Amino acid sequence: MTLRLLLLSLTPLILLSGTASASTEAAEKLLHSAVAEVMDATSHAPNSAALAVSVRPILEKYVSFDSMTRRAVGPGWRQFTVDQQKQATRLFTTLIIRTYSSKFTPGEIPTIKFRSAVSPVTGRVEVPTTVLYHGNYDDVTYRLEDEGGWRITDMVVEGVSLIANYRPQFDEQFKQGGVKAVIDSLSRSVSSQH
Amino acid sequence: MKTRPFILESLLAALLIALLSGCAATSQRQSSNASPAVTGQAKRDGKPVKPQGDEVDEYATASVADPLEPLNRAIFWLNDQIYTFVVRPISKTYDTVFPGPVRTGVYNVFDNVDFPIRFVNDALQGNFKRAGQEGEKFLVNTVGGAGGIVRLSDRFPELCNVPAADTGQTFAKWGIGHGIYLVLPILGPKSLRDTVGLAGDYALDPVTWLTLYVNHAWTLAISCPDGVRTLHGKLSTYDAATRNTLDRYLAARTAYIQNRKHAALK
Repeated sequence: MTLRLLLLSLTPLILLSGTASASTEAAEKLLHSAVAEVMDATSHAPNSAALAVSVRPILEKYVSFDSMTRRAVGPGWRQFTVDQQKQATRLFTTLIIRTYSSKFTPGEIPTIKFRSAVSPVTGRVEVPTTVLYHGNYDDVTYRLEDEGGWRITDMVVEGVSLIANYRPQFDEQFKQGGVKAVIDSLSRSVSSQH
Repeated sequence: MKTRPFILESLLAALLIALLSGCAATSQRQSSNASPAVTGQAKRDGKPVKPQGDEVDEYATASVADPLEPLNRAIFWLNDQIYTFVVRPISKTYDTVFPGPVRTGVYNVFDNVDFPIRFVNDALQGNFKRAGQEGEKFLVNTVGGAGGIVRLSDRFPELCNVPAADTGQTFAKWGIGHGIYLVLPILGPKSLRDTVGLAGDYALDPVTWLTLYVNHAWTLAISCPDGVRTLHGKLSTYDAATRNTLDRYLAARTAYIQNRKHAALK
């Protein structure tokens, strides 16, 4: 009876762990490829400007900038026309790429330790990592979503979500002058920052 | 006669499943602490289903009360000028004048001296394992690292990445909220809770104790390196939070609140 009870008890545990790894495996694989390609670009880039240029096609391949822009703008996104949505996405993509690439020093590769992935909701996987860079340890969590293929949709560095950090800024612009103010502020930021 | 034990086994197994799912849910909530709130969703296979299409309001972040925003914005602007014209040149001069190994040594010594802040707060948070790790780190670095100049503890996997505790974090773990958001002159973003916490950190800092017993010249000689050693890192964090943004003030505020929430959950 004890053995049966033990087996009965362990079955859900085995099932749970099996399901979790199967659902996260594809997303983790994609993330590993993306990180490897970015690291390769970082090790070969002669300077920061060249790095931003070389990581762009890699990020465009693995990151869903459409989702990121839509989420960062929030409910106001529905008031954008299709052309305005495309324009906002194009501008926001540039900002995100600049923000991301500025975290790396060309020629210096971080040590990344991937921890166990979790799937908080169906179609979403979160991969926590610990990054050792310039002597500091940082918690970096990658969020990926299944959009007919896994794509990275957010990066959370020491608790700071890339998307969530832009949300209040977009909200403020939207409150002040609607869609036009959002696009104007994005254009200003893209043209004034380097 | 065999029915009763089987029912009992089934009940026990069901209870275990319920417990396991509870634990799994809890661990997922903890590990994905920065995960946006997902509410009112449909479920599939027992899991919530991610929002589709225009259901994009899940990234509305936890905010902080900012009744002093006009004043905070003014101090933020002033700080920005001070960082540009005073702090950055000091940091750059320090980086230029002193070679890397000297800067690392100075950083390590003062970081090691700050041990009571981390140790006491770990204990106040009831995290005695981490307090023990801090104690070990202090011993290893003080004895084996020539008074803390060399961070020997980095060579031990269990000691190389111990999250640093502070008093504001302890208040957060005790369930005390942020209160209002403040931008302090020079020090920058803080909440009321963390400002009070700063006073606690100051009181626990051995550098503060030492300055009580020496004259002004020695106070400056002791405090200056402690202040300057962290400038580079603080400016880098400030730049990372405020560059490529639409509103630097809001960006710094949101980053601060998110980061402090994460620190309290570590």
